[in-house]
Amino acid sequence: MNAPSRPRAAGVPHPLIDGIEKVTGKALYTADLDDRDCLVGRILRSPVSHGRILSIDVSKAAALKGVRAIVTGADCDHTFGVIPIAMNEYPMARRTLRYRGEPVAAVAATDAATAERALDLIELEIEELPAVHTARDARAPDAVQLHDNKPGNLEREVHHVFGDVAAGIAGADLVREETFDCAEVNHAQMEPHAALAEYDAERDRLTFHSVSQVPFYVHLTLARCLDMDASRIRVVKPFVGGGFGSRTETLNFEIITALLARAARGKVMMRLSREETFLTHRGRPQTSVKLKIGMTDKGRITAVEAEVVMAGGAYAGYGLVTILYAGALLHGLYDIANVKYDGYRVYTNLPPCGAMRGHGTVDVRHAFECLLDRMARDLGLDPFAVRRANLLSAPLFTANDLMVNSYGLDECLNKVEQASGWAARKGKLPPGRGLGMACSHYVSGAAKPVHWTGEPHAVVAMKLDFDGAITVLTGAADIGQGSSTIVALAAAEILSVDMSRIRVIANDSTITPKDNGSYSSRVTFMVGNAAIEAARALRDKLVLAAATKLEVSPEDILCQGETFSVRGARQSVLSFQEVTIAALAAEGTITVKGTFSTPKEAQGGRHRGGAVGSTMGFSYAAQVVEVTVDADTGQISVEQVWAALDCGFAINPLAVEGQIEGSVWMGMGQGLCEETRFVDGLAIHANLLDYRFPTIVESPDIHVDIVESIDPLGPFGAKEAGEGALSGFPPALVNAVADAIGLDVDFLPLTPDRVLEALIKQRRDAKRRAAK
Amino acid sequence: MSNPLPDFTILRPATIDAAITGLADHPEARLCAGGSDLIVNMRHGLVETDTLIDLTGIDALQGIDAGPHGARIGAGVRLCDLLDNAEISQAWPAIHQAAAAIAGPTHREVATVGGNLCLDTRCLYYNQSHWWRKSNDFCLKYRGDICHVAPKGNRCRAAFCGDLAPALMVCGAEVELAGPTGTRRLPLAEFYREDGADPLTLQPGEILIAVQLPPAPPASAYAKVRVRGAIDFPLAGVAVAMRRTGDARHFTLAFTGTNSSPVMVEMPGTLGPDDDPDTYFTALEKLAQKTVSPQRTTTVQPHYRRLAVSALARRLAAGMAA
Repeated sequence: MNAPSRPRAAGVPHPLIDGIEKVTGKALYTADLDDRDCLVGRILRSPVSHGRILSIDVSKAAALKGVRAIVTGADCDHTFGVIPIAMNEYPMARRTLRYRGEPVAAVAATDAATAERALDLIELEIEELPAVHTARDARAPDAVQLHDNKPGNLEREVHHVFGDVAAGIAGADLVREETFDCAEVNHAQMEPHAALAEYDAERDRLTFHSVSQVPFYVHLTLARCLDMDASRIRVVKPFVGGGFGSRTETLNFEIITALLARAARGKVMMRLSREETFLTHRGRPQTSVKLKIGMTDKGRITAVEAEVVMAGGAYAGYGLVTILYAGALLHGLYDIANVKYDGYRVYTNLPPCGAMRGHGTVDVRHAFECLLDRMARDLGLDPFAVRRANLLSAPLFTANDLMVNSYGLDECLNKVEQASGWAARKGKLPPGRGLGMACSHYVSGAAKPVHWTGEPHAVVAMKLDFDGAITVLTGAADIGQGSSTIVALAAAEILSVDMSRIRVIANDSTITPKDNGSYSSRVTFMVGNAAIEAARALRDKLVLAAATKLEVSPEDILCQGETFSVRGARQSVLSFQEVTIAALAAEGTITVKGTFSTPKEAQGGRHRGGAVGSTMGFSYAAQVVEVTVDADTGQISVEQVWAALDCGFAINPLAVEGQIEGSVWMGMGQGLCEETRFVDGLAIHANLLDYRFPTIVESPDIHVDIVESIDPLGPFGAKEAGEGALSGFPPALVNAVADAIGLDVDFLPLTPDRVLEALIKQRRDAKRRAAK
Repeated sequence: MSNPLPDFTILRPATIDAAITGLADHPEARLCAGGSDLIVNMRHGLVETDTLIDLTGIDALQGIDAGPHGARIGAGVRLCDLLDNAEISQAWPAIHQAAAAIAGPTHREVATVGGNLCLDTRCLYYNQSHWWRKSNDFCLKYRGDICHVAPKGNRCRAAFCGDLAPALMVCGAEVELAGPTGTRRLPLAEFYREDGADPLTLQPGEILIAVQLPPAPPASAYAKVRVRGAIDFPLAGVAVAMRRTGDARHFTLAFTGTNSSPVMVEMPGTLGPDDDPDTYFTALEKLAQKTVSPQRTTTVQPHYRRLAVSALARRLAAGMAA
């Protein structure tokens, strides 16, 4: 057949559609928005880790010339929080201060210097209370209690058992147990937090711009905390400079900015400093993982027992979801029948933790992949062989009822094994140089959202008008990951039109459909499917119009390359514009929508907390890391990384590649050098000098392979691509260090000082052994 | 965004004399060249002044004159220009390496030699926001009564963190100072004192105008202990120069990031052709460990900084001897 070649949009590398604005500096982020006639907002923060507020006197600050509004905890008695059953945080503390940096009051003034002076004039009388800064201290029998309803400072404990763990352990040829300690990390996204709130006092309406990943949560939370009908609020998300989970939850400064704008009956710009952005936190908690694995001498895993303790900070936030994820995602990567999980989420007097790229899984996966490698070594097996001994075969449901319909891990393993020259090079590198590998996975969207209403997970609307332009309306928040581009590509693919015909309008609550937001890697899968459905609805209308005009049945119409023709006939070709006019003649401007809902069987098991971890499909990744270690200074250099990710299908291979590199890089930061640090609860990392994410100097070549397992439910077969490759890096790094210098490391990050200390201990132990 | 800058007036003298007059007229004024250190501190509320004297318009502070006779480097020379100077990189590798190790490329586009030599000392209890320091009752270096690093001591332990100073010191540098009573020269080591709160021996009204170097030592090098390959201040840094007397080689070491001033030490004795290098360099490493006195001024522990910088000192010295 001489079918004309059909331009394909999906599967072809495409630069992000909002990239030009970003690289030319034209993109307006929240802090860049028009701030004429704006008041400047500043926040007064708690100087203590734990204390009772005896009094707040704002009279001197209020008397300062240029101060227009002051709000305190007294101005909002609504709690907020991302989990409806666990909201225990006030935008500004009302009676109790629980971490250094917690907002206490806020000022709106005509300029920043005045606002700053006003903060200094607010008199705060505090009765200081004992504080706990570590999970161990918080769990001590005599520890001070942070929340009245949470004895033992336990936010949530989880106890899950699947299969017969005792039998699994009994049937193992090798059982090994180790404890891994992973430091707390922060997203450190490029853009500091900012919000712009404009209150229209005459109409009692609020227009709100913010850096959110989930504008819908912001909308709900503002309505709740300001006691406003949601219909009076408009939430707009401008360009956002990174999220990584830090902006999934509605954040205290957002509510404070809105409260200030209403109190001042005007417009308030709040730009947080880098320090304040760090103090707002919501990062990955300090986590200790005690892990026991049973294995046969062929490398088959017989049982897993994990005990995970997370130091979650002062408020619930996402805590219960994080501790559930940590257990749930022990499943879904390998074929494991017997799993026991005990998780403890603990309150501490530190900034609250939250969701961060690879939410819940990263530290547990780290422990798992490190221990697998050590057991492989004990058994004389190759690390690849151990993984291959435990592969899943899709479709299936895991022991905890997670749905797996597509599985490309075996192909990922093959790719990185070959690309890295593993077989020829492993164990044969010069001293101080080593190779390590690890696997990982991540969900493609939570199958059951925390705000469960029964409505579809995603809605995309499309409009076609007289000009032939296709406008796509989506509430999906593009935070740099490329979600708007995915939506445009999906539309272009289905409608077989050029990308230039499509404009994506995103994130204005007055215009775009509600979306559940950019978290848990849900957008490509859910919004992508909704976009496909909307585009199909539009295509159906166009095909019908073409069929009517050409006097054939719609089934005979071929729609491709912006033309409509009759199948098998060479004549009778209509242009896209002609068909648009014909279609509009019937009904005027065409609007259609598509939706996506998750199938019931994807929504997880019946056990308590079973919805967390549930998804339509997992991405799978394998990576190999090559390092050199300087034994004199403990300095590690990452020389090269090979990463392969099964994303089902790469709708935009260019973006997928970027997401894999970004995941690897962020995993490298956590592995090598990133950590938060506190002195008596006071953050000493809250700047970009002391929070040491890697620079370009440390950034190795990353060789990326994309594996496409074509998921039956994914849009064009696609799954997530933005998180799965992260959690493989830290364990691959630790495994590479073991290969390089024979040192097994049980901590993260591998900063030079920790590595050198471990090396010195290793040398001392070796000397002692030799002396005996 | 960052914390707001306080209001200030900026003077832009065109000559060194005009700058000295400006300083005399405004004793509280601060000198500013690239501003990459000063402006950050001003935003943190660490600098009490309403006047800045911008030195970037003074031609006499510019220029590098380097050759076999030695070198003169203007205090206003930008680090990127110092890096680009072929004579310096060839004859004084320690200075080139130290300049290359400072901050990141964009900082080096504005930061100057003089600014790096006059860098304020650093401490995790000091380089913080106003809210942070107030929450911690301030500190001895600024508005407080105790040094949180060494609460029992009576002086500020903030660390000198300039990379250039140790490299220049082992190469025998002197500084040229201009003040109301004329100019004077003094060895770079005497430009500093071991007091984190007052680390420079500059007299009121004086300005650092240039660095003078004698002919280059036969070998020199600089290495820096840090977590990342860019941006970071030195957790510790070491410069080594080797000189020869006949067959015997002797070594000068200087350290940064470990004390409130850069510290220089001569390795006693020489390494002759018949000496066991391993014994000699083990002694050198021990000397380095004894010389430095890192404190809890950064997030990275003192013990590590002492061990790592001493290992690097040994590596540099052994590399030159090989």
